[in-house]
Amino acid sequence: MTEPPEPPAAAEQSAPGARTGTSGGPHGRPSEEEPSVVARAVRHLPRSVSGRATLAGAVVSGLLILAIVFGSRLLHDFDSALLPYAVATVFLAFGVAYRYTVWVSAPGARRLFGKGWSSLFSAENFRRTPTALPKMIATYLGLQKFLGARSHARWAAHQLIFWGCVLAALITFPLTWGWFTFTSGSGSGPGYEMRVWGIKILGFDSLNFVGWVMFHGLDIAAVLVIPGASYFLWRRMKDRGAITGQRFAYDMVPLLALIIISVTGLLLTFSSVFLHGGGYEFLAILHMVSVVFTLIYIPFGKFFHIVQRPAAVGMQLFKYTDRQDDEVFACRRCGEAIDTGPYVENLRGTMQDLELGFDAWAEYCPRCKRVLRGNAYLTQVKKGFK
Amino acid sequence: MMGRTIFIDPGRCIGCQACVSACRECDSHRGKSMIHLDYTDEGSSVASLPTVCMHCEDPVAPCAEVCPADAILVTADGVVQQADTTRCIGCANCVNACPFGVPKIDLQAKLQMKCNLCYDRTAYGLAPMCATVCPTGALYYGTLEELQAERPGVQVADTFVFGESEVRTGVAMVVPAERVQWPVPGGLPVVEINGKDVRR
Repeated sequence: MTEPPEPPAAAEQSAPGARTGTSGGPHGRPSEEEPSVVARAVRHLPRSVSGRATLAGAVVSGLLILAIVFGSRLLHDFDSALLPYAVATVFLAFGVAYRYTVWVSAPGARRLFGKGWSSLFSAENFRRTPTALPKMIATYLGLQKFLGARSHARWAAHQLIFWGCVLAALITFPLTWGWFTFTSGSGSGPGYEMRVWGIKILGFDSLNFVGWVMFHGLDIAAVLVIPGASYFLWRRMKDRGAITGQRFAYDMVPLLALIIISVTGLLLTFSSVFLHGGGYEFLAILHMVSVVFTLIYIPFGKFFHIVQRPAAVGMQLFKYTDRQDDEVFACRRCGEAIDTGPYVENLRGTMQDLELGFDAWAEYCPRCKRVLRGNAYLTQVKKGFK
Repeated sequence: MMGRTIFIDPGRCIGCQACVSACRECDSHRGKSMIHLDYTDEGSSVASLPTVCMHCEDPVAPCAEVCPADAILVTADGVVQQADTTRCIGCANCVNACPFGVPKIDLQAKLQMKCNLCYDRTAYGLAPMCATVCPTGALYYGTLEELQAERPGVQVADTFVFGESEVRTGVAMVVPAERVQWPVPGGLPVVEINGKDVRR
């Protein structure tokens, strides 16, 4: 049996709406000759949206620079060796704010964004179901139970990556911004003080367990991330469902980046503990380059789901509060529940915004749509169908 | 209409469910069938209608347009993929906006799934699972020229009308020659429901 040929290169990413690619595919229509409607629509981002997004990016990155300057007590606590990381986080802030603004400017996202926030800030909702939001955040964003429903192995691997990355972010971001400092009155320890914005938070002995954990937090994060990312990488090479339509830049690069960051980070510890610092400078540069690349990549690739995913909580909250009132919209034909009334109304509004003139169809369940179309075909197109 | 695509001829469908079983074998959604086989007048007629994703071209992929998470990919060759698992938030916008009633949703997994024209197969030049097993040719995969060579005189339509809106699709349906210049009715506006006139 011969190896199958390489599948056609699939789409690059563009937002909002949908993503389109640039190469031809199996259906004999090279896109260079006839780009799809979506491609044209997406590539011409309205000037007002790109202007707003640029402004949002500039404001957020400007605020972060101010927070770095003031948080590090006018750069007194700023570690200049970490400057490339700090600069990368400023670019990250710009990119995330830019992409986020573009994303929530699309009709579908804009409407759900508004509904989610209004549900969140509704005093009435909070009074009636005060535990709904914390529960959703814990089960949806923390424990990610929905991933367990997809696959237990993927859930476990994702949890390892998630908690590893959360731990790493909590340690590294404040460190690179000069918000955290570890100082020792004796100069070389073992007694250390952890200060946040110059204020002493806790003192610890670097030779006891707490001290070990404090100084090896990033090693622990790496140990969590490596098996999780390795599982996903293995799956991307073996699972035929995952392989279908996967793209190197979108699906593989994030996993490779996580593994490279984690391995080089562990090697830094290995170098200092076992090699007396041998190769440390080279490893430090390799680690820095991989981290900087990953931070700048976040807004433009797969990692943007970190920013997008919390929107799902807003969507769930919007539906949840209406479900409490039994505001369920039933299919006009069969009476099957479709979703909540406000949700259907919101969807129709989205479809109208997008000039999809069949928004009335949203009031029928999928099966009834198919049956009604079948009946129309039967009676109006091909009577021999019977 | 795409170069190589699925042609649906409901007149040939015998409702055997072979396509439904075969669809479960598709690598991109193993164990779950994405094709719909509906008996449109159950109890009175054996008429059945297989529905795969029509891969809408104009307006392109309404499911992708209404998606708030940019989760639905449209490849360069016009194939509308199922939701990106990383991004899909399970809001069901696509499920309820699709004029053909195609996408399915797993509310526990917060994930939309739908026919992706067996991209794991069609990307390698193989026919989709459903068309491979259909015993009557109600689901045919190939080019229009190949279809017409096998079935001389057959005509197809790739435009559907829903109320006053037309949707042009990548997948086409077989229609009688005299109907080929008209868009295929999509069922909207709904004229009657369960014997009652609902036009007013």
